[in-house]
Amino acid sequence: MRILLAEDDTLLGDGLRAGLRQQGFQVDWVRDGAAAERELRAQPYEAAVLDLGLPMMDGMDVLASVRRAGVTLPVLVLTARDAVPDRIRGLDLGADDYVLKPVDLQELAARLRALVRRAHGQPQEQLRAQDLVLDAAARVVQQAGQLVPLSTREFDLLHSLMLNAGRVLSREQLEQHLYSWGHEVESNAVEVHVHHLRRKLGSGVIQTVRGVGYLLPRESPAA
Amino acid sequence: MKAPSLQRRLLALVLGLVTVVWLGTAVLTWLDVRHELDELLDGHLAQAAALLVVQQVGEMEDDDHAVDAPSLHRHAPKIAFQVFHEGRLVMRSANAPASPMVRPEERFKSGFRSVRLGDTDWRVFATYGAERDIQVYVAEQQRSRSSIVWALLRGMLQPMVVALPLLALAVWWAVYRGMLPLRKLGTALARREPQALQPVEVDGAPAEMKPMLDALNGLFGRIGALMESERRFTADAAHELRTPIAAIRAQAQVALAESDDALRRHALQATLQGCDRASRLVEQLLTLSRLESSAAPALAPLDLSALVRSVVADLAPQALRKQQTIEVEAELARFVVGEPTLLAVLVRNLGDNALRYSPAGARVIVTVDGDAQAVWLRVEDSGPGLADADRQRLGERFFRVLGSGQEGSGLGWSIVQRIAQVHAATVSTQPSVQLGGLAVQLRWRAAATPR
Repeated sequence: MRILLAEDDTLLGDGLRAGLRQQGFQVDWVRDGAAAERELRAQPYEAAVLDLGLPMMDGMDVLASVRRAGVTLPVLVLTARDAVPDRIRGLDLGADDYVLKPVDLQELAARLRALVRRAHGQPQEQLRAQDLVLDAAARVVQQAGQLVPLSTREFDLLHSLMLNAGRVLSREQLEQHLYSWGHEVESNAVEVHVHHLRRKLGSGVIQTVRGVGYLLPRESPAA
Repeated sequence: MKAPSLQRRLLALVLGLVTVVWLGTAVLTWLDVRHELDELLDGHLAQAAALLVVQQVGEMEDDDHAVDAPSLHRHAPKIAFQVFHEGRLVMRSANAPASPMVRPEERFKSGFRSVRLGDTDWRVFATYGAERDIQVYVAEQQRSRSSIVWALLRGMLQPMVVALPLLALAVWWAVYRGMLPLRKLGTALARREPQALQPVEVDGAPAEMKPMLDALNGLFGRIGALMESERRFTADAAHELRTPIAAIRAQAQVALAESDDALRRHALQATLQGCDRASRLVEQLLTLSRLESSAAPALAPLDLSALVRSVVADLAPQALRKQQTIEVEAELARFVVGEPTLLAVLVRNLGDNALRYSPAGARVIVTVDGDAQAVWLRVEDSGPGLADADRQRLGERFFRVLGSGQEGSGLGWSIVQRIAQVHAATVSTQPSVQLGGLAVQLRWRAAATPR
């Protein structure tokens, strides 16, 4: 799951990026408000962690601006501003969650997962489609009750497909979901991972829509 | 104590003034009328007397016994006269006594006088024939004059007795209406929320109330600005205090969960850095709090040049690490009155700021110089300098120039300013002429060189 982290403090930003990576997120880190606004408008993130006291453009302004521009992704505001009016204003401007520093990394990760889940209309921690059950927190996948061992990329790819179950995702979209900045994406990386997933889960689980992309149906094709 | 009522005061003043003016007019009228009346009636008396003298001279040859003149009108008793010929009463009015109306010693004095006969005051005019054998006295009751004057005054004063209460009512109403804007302001103020700081608006406020309203709204504005700056201070303080702790926590948690050795080392290093930053912040806060709570420190003359040299020596290693150069230009001993520890903190903060906010390879020059009146300390750098707007905000606690890429807390400047204040030094900032970055200058009045 790829998220944007906007934090101007070097030490904290570095720690959050490392911590969220440990929790299985792909993290892009920007250090000022203008960059945060630009990236949020342009890139397909699953969620964003936004500090408020950002240089160039205050976090509140970033939030207001991208919401006006129609960006709907879940935004978690992470800030030291604990005054109630600030919290109210943040939530009213379109923040989906408002978390005070310092924060526990696991809690932050759980909140992000919950935000992403809800954004996809999934109220439960576990995603279900066909005979698959994906636990994003534990990063495990079960098929018909059996654990299926998956690599990090395979898991992330399946996670994206299951979050968007029933919808076609293009190869570019999947690439953007899988890789944060600084990762060279090989041209056939998505095909390779899909191939591996089909081998582990069965060929019918993921369907190819020629010339468009991939699709994971909610129900098994056989049923 | 009950507050005096403006309404009652205005009412009393207006009514009091009206009464005084009215009474004054009455007194003046009374004096004037009396004067005119006296002139007129005295004229009549004199004329009547002259007529009697003329008539008496003509009738001199007749019988020599006294004649009582007939009473002609019901008002005639108010007038009396006597005519004497060679000391004998020749003629008199019915209400006149037989003896002369004036005292014997004044018998041959012509003119007006006031006389009391029985229980009545008379105005008497006395005159004589040319040979002094005929004496004529014509008198008029004083009371009749007073009653004319009184009748006139009654005409003036009676309406006043009726008008005064009516006037009081009218004035009360007018004052009440006139003070309506004041009452509105009072109600508006009473109805305000305690935290409300928006300007007070009173519809139709008169010009006299404008200064008060302006002053009040100015006050609200200043309180609002003060509260806003307090609010910002709290928000900034929260940010500055929580961020290092959040960083330490995040890095420590990463280190705990990390299996890769290099990454764990990195996280642990970062944790240590966070601790250093937090302790520096605590140090600065404590310095500031000591500065603000302590009484005036003991100040004594000291050589600023020597102090600067020793502080810069401490800063040199930090400069070397960033390939920066820091130089001192302080050839002569310059004496200022100060406290050495505090001044060292001040110089260290200025030097540290200059190094911290200038890029690698930058140059910092610390100058101590002076003339007969002043000593100044200047710290300038070849860094990026500061925008004017940012320069103005320097010294606001926790204010940091955004995008400077440095982890400062914004407290250093507050410390510098506070120490300068304690030492009665003025702080100014301007672009550095020599190096192109920021120049900070402190000026003291020169202290006498100690012997």
